[in-house]
Amino acid sequence: MTGPCESAFSARDVTKTFGAFRAVDGVSIDVPAGEIYGLVGPSGAGKTTLIRLFCGLAAATQGEARLLGHAMPGDRRAVEGRFGYMPQEKAVYRDLSVGENLLFFGQIYGMDRQCIARRTTEILSLMRLGDRVRQRADSLSGGERQRLSLACALLHEPDALLLDEPTIGLDPALRAQFWDHFHALSKGGRTILLSTHYLLEAERCRRVGLMQAGRFIAEGTPAELRSAAAGRVGRAVPDMEDVFLVLTASSEGAS
Amino acid sequence: MSLRRIAAVAERVLRQLRHDRRVLVFMLVLPAVAMILFGYSFSGDITGIRVAFVDGDDTDLTQTLRDHLRADSAFRLAELPVGQDPEQLLLEAGYQAVIRIPDKFTSLYYAHFAMGVATSAQGRIDLTLDESDPQIAATVQKGLADALMDLGEGGPVDVQVKDLYGVEVRFIDSFAPAIMGLVVALISTVLTLLSIVREKVDGTFARVWVSPVRRAEFILGYVVAFGAVALVQSLVVLSVGKLVFGILINGSIAWAFLCVILFAVGSVGLGTLLSALAQTESQAVVFFPLVIVPSVLLSGMMWPIQAIPPLLRPLSYLVPLTYSNRLLRAVMVKGLAPWQEPVGLAGLLGFVVLTIVAASLILRQRARGAE
Repeated sequence: MTGPCESAFSARDVTKTFGAFRAVDGVSIDVPAGEIYGLVGPSGAGKTTLIRLFCGLAAATQGEARLLGHAMPGDRRAVEGRFGYMPQEKAVYRDLSVGENLLFFGQIYGMDRQCIARRTTEILSLMRLGDRVRQRADSLSGGERQRLSLACALLHEPDALLLDEPTIGLDPALRAQFWDHFHALSKGGRTILLSTHYLLEAERCRRVGLMQAGRFIAEGTPAELRSAAAGRVGRAVPDMEDVFLVLTASSEGAS
Repeated sequence: MSLRRIAAVAERVLRQLRHDRRVLVFMLVLPAVAMILFGYSFSGDITGIRVAFVDGDDTDLTQTLRDHLRADSAFRLAELPVGQDPEQLLLEAGYQAVIRIPDKFTSLYYAHFAMGVATSAQGRIDLTLDESDPQIAATVQKGLADALMDLGEGGPVDVQVKDLYGVEVRFIDSFAPAIMGLVVALISTVLTLLSIVREKVDGTFARVWVSPVRRAEFILGYVVAFGAVALVQSLVVLSVGKLVFGILINGSIAWAFLCVILFAVGSVGLGTLLSALAQTESQAVVFFPLVIVPSVLLSGMMWPIQAIPPLLRPLSYLVPLTYSNRLLRAVMVKGLAPWQEPVGLAGLLGFVVLTIVAASLILRQRARGAE
């Protein structure tokens, strides 16, 4: 588990370019242990690239991304096994059963079969997939496969979680269930960095980074963002979507 | 490096194969179908067979015979001094036939003609043949018979053929090792390619890279899984070959399996390499003919390499199956140990090292985010 003063995720002026395109442009972020931090913004804002930088799946062009105190991807061996990653795709083996998927991911994280069996029961019950253990992943519904993907990321009980659009395509009830689970994990000391383009989900995060064109246009708690937006337009802005529009407009005006 | 994680990758790959019935059927039926379909083959014009000509008589007649053989484009004739062991020339010096003319050949040749059938004295020629490729053996025998026909008055000549392996080798006998190699190359390359491309498409590739799995463990997992598959496929080919066609297995099955597994390892490396060039499964399918066509046409599988037009012949040595064929034929038909076929063994080892190192580098690039 991360120490109380240690940042789970931190970056200073981190930039990632693909040719001339700046996917992440000078982003700084500091997420203490136990927090749920939301990267919020439209598609192409740089959320996925920032998450991939923290996972070590990409190297920063400038600056440094640190996960659990270690520079990524250089020190990734020091933290492997301590974080879980859920990619945007429903990244599970379609031709394996639910149980076999969890068995594989458990095995590559060094868990023994007994431990995997125990965690599989726990996590599938939590994800309401307990009766699907022998079912092939390609015969699951989209939401079920999404839950299986999250289960694969959580199986080895990581300290930090990087979740790329974990609730995309889920119905509101299921989304609420996912959020309940994220909060339970956070209470247990896990740190979560997730991306979403559902602006309403920003409300559920402890803090939010609003991203556009690779940059943070605002950062803070949902209340702080609402207050910043209200300051710009001179009236209360209760809806998070409006908050985003106001802050985006003022950001574009400023640049 | 963790054996447990290698086993985990291998177990997972095998489980996936088990779940995909089409692939399973493909894997088990293809070797049998291929064996039956290609069992009856054909050949092209053969040129450049290495023949050693040992003239123990050295007369105008034997020189005429030598000149006739030299004029035949089927042969690349080398004149060697007497006293060398023909079998050694075949097994160690790379000749495919040794024609030895004993002394007194010329006098016996003419004496028989002069005395008619009343004498048993007859010119004799010893022909020692590497029959591991029956098409080549037949070409040598036909070429020698044609050259003897052109000698003019005299004869007949008693050509004493010695089977190097003690039994007659048929086309199907030398074809079975090639089928084994082809099936293994095809399945291992294609399934590795498809499997890795699917991992990329589905996002599991990224998920595996952020886990403690190392590149070497990932590749070895595939190697273990497809090595096991290659073993089963070889068993199917050999069983069908033996039961349906009664193929000759002159050498050690264990060596043959080891060579097949070696070839499977290189093929997994090749599949991994090709996966770097494909982003989707449909793109991956495009590479299939790239593996199949040169293997079938240029490897010496359907016809000897000597039957391939000289312009294309150098390409044969870029096709991995060429080396697998040489090695497996040496082991299965000639009954040699792998190191007694150094070209085949070196070629196959080179293929394995090259593809596995390159695949590892490719995966490293992927692990760095396919930037």
